[in-house]
Amino acid sequence: MEFSPANQDPDSGIATPQRRTVFNHRQAPRPVTAAALVVGILFAFPALYLVWRTITGDGDPIDLLSSARTLEPLRRSVVLAALVSASTAVLGTTLAWLTARTDLPGRRLWRILLPLPLAYPTFVGAAAFIRTLNPGGLANDLFQAIGIDRTPELRGLFGAWLALTLFTYPYVYLPVAARLRNLPGSLEESARILGNSGFTTFRRVVLPQTTSAISAGALLVALYTISDFGAVQLMRYDTLTRAIWTTRLADQPTSFALSVILLALAALVVAAERIGNRRRSGQRPARSTTSRPLTVPLGRWRVGGLALVFITLGLALVAPAAALADWGITGLIRDATGGRPLVINASDVIGPAWNTVWISVVAAGAAVLAVLPTAALIGRYRSRVGPTTGNIITSTFAMPGLLIALAMFFWTLRSGWAADHLRGTIFVLVFAYVVRFGAQALGAAHVAVAAVPDRLHDSARVLGAGPLRRLATVDAPIISPGLLAGGGLVLLSTMKELPITLLVAPFDFPTLTTKIFQSFEDAFVAEAGLLAMVLVALSGLLTWFLVIRRAHQLD
Amino acid sequence: MTTTNCSTGRTPHRLFRFVATILTLTLGASLLAACGSDGGNPLSEKAAAIVSSGSNTDGKVDCADGRGKMVTIYSGRTEYLIGPILDAFACESGIDIRVRWGNSTDLAVLIGEEGKATEADVFLSRSPGPVGFLEGLGLLGTIDGAVLDLVEPQNRASSGAWIGFSGRKRVLVRNLDMVTDADLPTSVFDLTDERYRGRVALPATNGSFEDWFTVFRDQHGDEVATQWLHDMVDNDAEYYPNNRAIVEAAGRGEIDMGLVNHYYQYQEAAAAGDKHRAENHDFGHTDIGSLLIITAATVLETAEDYDAANELIAYLLSPQAQSYFTNKTFEYPLSAGVAPNPILPALTALEIGSVDFDTLGGGFEETERIIRESGILAG
Repeated sequence: MEFSPANQDPDSGIATPQRRTVFNHRQAPRPVTAAALVVGILFAFPALYLVWRTITGDGDPIDLLSSARTLEPLRRSVVLAALVSASTAVLGTTLAWLTARTDLPGRRLWRILLPLPLAYPTFVGAAAFIRTLNPGGLANDLFQAIGIDRTPELRGLFGAWLALTLFTYPYVYLPVAARLRNLPGSLEESARILGNSGFTTFRRVVLPQTTSAISAGALLVALYTISDFGAVQLMRYDTLTRAIWTTRLADQPTSFALSVILLALAALVVAAERIGNRRRSGQRPARSTTSRPLTVPLGRWRVGGLALVFITLGLALVAPAAALADWGITGLIRDATGGRPLVINASDVIGPAWNTVWISVVAAGAAVLAVLPTAALIGRYRSRVGPTTGNIITSTFAMPGLLIALAMFFWTLRSGWAADHLRGTIFVLVFAYVVRFGAQALGAAHVAVAAVPDRLHDSARVLGAGPLRRLATVDAPIISPGLLAGGGLVLLSTMKELPITLLVAPFDFPTLTTKIFQSFEDAFVAEAGLLAMVLVALSGLLTWFLVIRRAHQLD
Repeated sequence: MTTTNCSTGRTPHRLFRFVATILTLTLGASLLAACGSDGGNPLSEKAAAIVSSGSNTDGKVDCADGRGKMVTIYSGRTEYLIGPILDAFACESGIDIRVRWGNSTDLAVLIGEEGKATEADVFLSRSPGPVGFLEGLGLLGTIDGAVLDLVEPQNRASSGAWIGFSGRKRVLVRNLDMVTDADLPTSVFDLTDERYRGRVALPATNGSFEDWFTVFRDQHGDEVATQWLHDMVDNDAEYYPNNRAIVEAAGRGEIDMGLVNHYYQYQEAAAAGDKHRAENHDFGHTDIGSLLIITAATVLETAEDYDAANELIAYLLSPQAQSYFTNKTFEYPLSAGVAPNPILPALTALEIGSVDFDTLGGGFEETERIIRESGILAG
């Protein structure tokens, strides 16, 4: 899913602020700064809500930090986030390099397929894994066919790590692939000519140039892992999100205090990534002036490269899809042959599918607009407001959806006149999605804004174009593909979002995920399979469309 | 950056294509899904069956005229199981309904957050715990006496704040290949025995397990109940997130047996057929392990229309709704003299009359603490 624009985007689809890329020291325009501040405050709403609840409640985060009851889940969250970001960094980078830089057979197809696992909600993906191992599940039948009686159990740290790695590696793959495409092949070529081996070239030339893209992707993965509830719950790994979830009714002060701890952890992770990035900021990525990509012959490594792609796609894409199809088709056959009939019909699919797509498109557009001022400040101006609001937006990505949903109710009900007009409307739902997923749009937006060359602005000004005219004729054309890329990520995430959708959506607004959730709740597996197939197919088609557009322009 | 200019003229086109494609895809998917659509009868077949079973007309369903009333329901029961009953209610009463579906606990937390400003008029919970939480916050109103009288006194709050409308029995689900008949326990207290080491699953964070444990504490005392849980942990009992996961795991032989609600077994067996190698075992008689857990309905204190809300709850307890619960969703009926589905384990003395669910609301927090401190979750 090469979300980022073709030839005009000089950088990755998702990237961290690069402080040194800004050579103009111009003052940021007041309206932009003001807008970024407002957005920053809005994004801080969930955090402020948690802090408020903790202060006014009996919970004490500091006190909790000294109890084993808290430390164990906290430790598990940290371990899981570290493991998943490390493995996705390695896997995503390797796959990006293989498909962008080598003569790997079928690489154009792999470029289309590799981002697709992002379409699976983790609670669906994890459930697919687990249920495939059941009697009657595909994997179980396969194992039995080759004579293995007991199928492996998938649970705990290993299960959670595997599921999260397989469904989040595209967060690393996408920006690294985009960065690699924009790196001049000439540097690597020179390195090879100077006698460096392929590996040394990778380590000395490619890696330093892609580090910021890798770490930006891994940051999103780490935050996603901290926020994830679906996979850890199904895999029975007792992390911080699960502790928050378990205590949410019986012991709310503890639940809120734990949430504050989770938020602090997220802020720490973001800060660590930013500091690491600042250290490396001397290494500015070179940018390609030609679109001719370098192709490294893999030689005997071809088989290994292909094997990695096959295993990744097999586990992350084909296996869950096969499981879903298996459930769905079994249900259809059962229905047709007079067994237990399906409890859903076409209208249970059409309405929710339509709701899912249009609300996701709106949320994606709103998210891009919301992060734009911050992106502009980071990308074009020296301003403290940019990085600060950027950190708030990014940290919020670690907040579990349930907490965001509760925060929305808290603030809406205290907003005076707005409470009457806004509550229960689509606006609050979109706002909740934007707050939850804005971080995904921020990286791409900031890179796109930074790509607008000052000299174009200067020329336009000399030619007499006013600020609005310049915005329309200079900025918009250059940044819109990048914004589209960021919006695409938000779109996919919104399509598979569950807890916010359940609680915040207006009445009678079913989406595919809420239907899937209900199906799983009461073991209507065939129905869950069919609905999940529609969800994944719709997400996949949208992804595929963005990739095709990109691939077309590459050649 | 040399190529920045070349796309200038093409961008609007591309944006247009982006939007156009999304629209096309959605339309395509809708058309695809529309094949086989049954034509747009607003009342589903299932709901119509409930209505006609009550009014006994020949298949033709005539809904009552709208009365301009509306009941807002937060439902922790899923749409698949209870949706048809709610639709049938709307049809028969002429009262409009709107529903927020979700997890019972999440919805209770949400109502707690909304407080007096909640839009919910009626809250339907999978178990009494979340309702007890709301009663503790002082957010519940009182159900009409005439409605309360539809069930036995032990299946409703003495305060009149909530009422049970169907029952699910606690049972032991077992894998047929790994647990022989001779190997079956006769009481939950047997499960702490050495021969069950590492073989029993507990859905320790599940609402109905927590409610069951609260009643366990009430019946046998905190000391006995806590000791039992600790012994289970020492006996390497396995933690699972919910009932369904245990039934499924027992079906494939991942775990030998587990303490669950009875009715998931029927859903799993219906879906997987013979490949699901599990069966329910009823502890029977007076064992705490065969407790009947009830689902609970309640009216919020801030409900806009008390009468309409009460009418809805009375409908849940009507003969047609009760027989739907037992025949279609394999639950136990609680009122109107409807007999339980014959495939369900028989109810015994314990379930009928000896348990007061009033203990649930207050004991909930303590139960959560005991369960967390037992160490069962760490496994």
